[in-house]
Amino acid sequence: MNWLAIKREAHFLLRKKQVVLILVAALALSLFAVWTGSKEVAQQHATIERLLKADAQDRQAVLEQQHDYGGVAYYSFHLTYSAPSPLAFASLGVRDVYPWKHRIRMLALEGQIHESDTENPELALAGRIDFAFVISVLAPFLLILLLHDLRASERAAGRLELLTISNASGAGLWLTRAMILSVTLGFALLLPFWIGAILHQVGWITGIGVTLLCLLYLGFWALLSYSVAKLPSPAPMLASILLGVWLITSYIVPAVGHVVIEKSITGPKGGDILMTQREAVNDAWDLPFSETFDPFVETHPEWENYTQMPSLFDWKWYYAFQQVGDQKAQALSEEYRRVAQEKYQLANLFAVRSPATALQRILSYWAQTDAEAAREYEQSVRNFHQSLREFYYPLLFKKPPFKREAIQQRPEFTPNRSTQTNASAG
Amino acid sequence: MIATLLCIARDEWRYWRRSRLALSLLIIALILAIASVFVTHTSMQLEAEQRTHLQTLAQQKFADQPDRHPHRMVHYGHYVFRAPPPLSSLDPGIDPFTGTSVFLEGHRRNGATFSEQQQSSGLSWLGTLSPAFVMQLLTPLLLIVMGYGAMTREREAGTFDFLKVQGITPPYLIAGKGLALISAGLLVFSPFAIGAIWALINGAEGSATAMFLVSYVLYILIWSSLILLASTLSANNAASFSSLTCLWIVLCLVLPRIASNTATVVVASPGKLETDFAVLQELRKLGDGHNSNDPAFSALKSSLLAKYEVDKIEDLPVNFKGIVAQKSEAKLTKILNQFSEKQMQEAQDQANVARQFGWLSPAIAIQNASMKLAGTDLENYHRFLREAEAVRFSFVQSLNKLHAENVSYTDDANKYKDHETHHRAKVDAKNWQILDNFHFTPLAADQRISNSQLPLTQLLMLFLLCCGVTFFAGKRV
Repeated sequence: MNWLAIKREAHFLLRKKQVVLILVAALALSLFAVWTGSKEVAQQHATIERLLKADAQDRQAVLEQQHDYGGVAYYSFHLTYSAPSPLAFASLGVRDVYPWKHRIRMLALEGQIHESDTENPELALAGRIDFAFVISVLAPFLLILLLHDLRASERAAGRLELLTISNASGAGLWLTRAMILSVTLGFALLLPFWIGAILHQVGWITGIGVTLLCLLYLGFWALLSYSVAKLPSPAPMLASILLGVWLITSYIVPAVGHVVIEKSITGPKGGDILMTQREAVNDAWDLPFSETFDPFVETHPEWENYTQMPSLFDWKWYYAFQQVGDQKAQALSEEYRRVAQEKYQLANLFAVRSPATALQRILSYWAQTDAEAAREYEQSVRNFHQSLREFYYPLLFKKPPFKREAIQQRPEFTPNRSTQTNASAG
Repeated sequence: MIATLLCIARDEWRYWRRSRLALSLLIIALILAIASVFVTHTSMQLEAEQRTHLQTLAQQKFADQPDRHPHRMVHYGHYVFRAPPPLSSLDPGIDPFTGTSVFLEGHRRNGATFSEQQQSSGLSWLGTLSPAFVMQLLTPLLLIVMGYGAMTREREAGTFDFLKVQGITPPYLIAGKGLALISAGLLVFSPFAIGAIWALINGAEGSATAMFLVSYVLYILIWSSLILLASTLSANNAASFSSLTCLWIVLCLVLPRIASNTATVVVASPGKLETDFAVLQELRKLGDGHNSNDPAFSALKSSLLAKYEVDKIEDLPVNFKGIVAQKSEAKLTKILNQFSEKQMQEAQDQANVARQFGWLSPAIAIQNASMKLAGTDLENYHRFLREAEAVRFSFVQSLNKLHAENVSYTDDANKYKDHETHHRAKVDAKNWQILDNFHFTPLAADQRISNSQLPLTQLLMLFLLCCGVTFFAGKRV
């Protein structure tokens, strides 16, 4: 293989109408995916900006109206969110299925955290076209189209023998052609990604990582197509074999895996958590105060000596039974999350048999748009809610005189690690 | 004439039986179709049972609550569950992507919670193995592999001219091969049709089910004629095959996603959280329904005092707090409805943008027709949300009425003073029998059929177009 041969073959291949058409289609698809992905990410950032502003105003208005700490806690909502990471434009992941924003308050958390402000379900069903989809599902298909008839087309044209004998190094010619086609396809697919990565200020390491991963993945499919293309069968037969592999690994394996996992792992229904929590909270109104304070003190021994009730209603009792409501639902809620986690982990077994799924999982993991990231966000909401409770309990139990300045110390929600808002993105 | 057609079709089947690839693919497709019908049917059946059970349980729990202040019951709230319609066992549509239950309480319009998708393995990112998925996506691919060579094969083998000489004109040949292809499609379709009969037994309406099946048959016809068209126009097998697979990937995989990307870019929908702020702003103007001393209610107070000719609210024959609760709930609901209608409209607008792509892709058209006829589309989901809201408003207002008429103002104002007043401010538990049985049913069959006019027209148009072009192409070769 020398430079001259590469030039000659490239000149020959890139003049074929079909090849050009496929390369242009690849570039167009990738551009469209990156462009709409960037739009989507920009919309999410803008939404967060607007929400943050409205949220702060709303809390300020509440603070001015209220005259005790219990009332402030009851009426103050706090925005929690998880902003899209710089890489999110390339892999939108499951952000249209899992909630990434909530407004929560001091009441029982289990009643609030499962609310999802999700997107349009009909569009979620159709799915989105993002860079991850283009590279993991469409790219192998385009490679198959380009490479399956390397030899078969020449055979059909009656040139195979001539080409083989007139070439110095037998297989060299086919390898050169396959390389040229794969490399140009990879370039057409990755170019829009690189532009997007620069615009979104994706870190160097991540950018190179994604590029290498995509090249590895394309290399795998190129190698497979190249080897199958050696078989002495007509082109449609070769394409059928490759398409079969592609269809089974990309579509059938995950779909079957989904059924197997859904059937084999069952856990509590989400509705049970809400029901348990609701019964606990509402029953408390009619039960003796001790029924609330006993389990409360068990987890919060520091308030043991502050549980006397001055009247039939007191905020500390109200928030204590909200806490107890969460405590009663805790086991169910943990089990619910554990089952989801287990299903997701078990899915790895099927993902390793489906390169497309594996690639999509890795990309959405890096972009922090996968189910794991959604769970991490949920945990950050739980932690924040916990810190709110820790802030209010001394004020409710010790009852210092009401001072609006004391609220200045109230914890604020801070989003997770690298998902902080990046206003310049998009 | 007919005999020749059948002869051509039979010969095509003979060819498939001999080619191991076609035969094994057909068998795999059949197995997938049967498995998908069975699996989806059982899991939707289980879902339906569970949700109906939870619905009964929720009603029972509400009725079993002890003596309480009526406003406590307003916050105790109620749940409604969305029972899946019978045809969802063939096309679950958006069911896994939407919440299955809504918590109903006073002063708030909650969204549906707990969609199954959130609790899943994440493996279904390219689709679940539902019967609809098998029919819409996999069947066309099967037909392509079986039929790409229908015409080109004869051409490559040189038998095409031979047949012409024997008096078999190309349109005739195409029709015969089409017959074979359609019969293969219908074979894969048969488990689906059996599933439909199953759904019929489970209460699906005849007219909608028939339309549902017809739309799928149309879909098979469209693909069959597309395949024959490509095979007629292509010079050889290789060209026919690669153009058809490209067509499949564009129509079935790429366009539906392009449609949904376009929809979100064209129509922005701010989401529930954001409208909540707007709602809150409106609400502050209304006054807090928990606080009857809110100045927003002073006009109401003076008009009531004038009406009953008394000087103090304690002397009113009704509980002023209850009246305030009723009035403010009604006003608030009006605002909530206004905003949620706006939000639903936005979702609808987005979906409408995506649905227009059905003029280009039969896969999008069949997906929409199928969901609409099965009752698992966006409209039916919105119908559920509206019905849930009606239930919410009705039970909350019944409780507020109890609050106004069965609890005296003095007791109410002093309910936290001591145990005796606390007890007097309660209402007897037998008053909790205010809930009707709730069972969600999708739109009526004729309504669903008329709603699916657009995708059905798209399918019909694509069918006529494909057939027409194939016929003319056949005449010219």
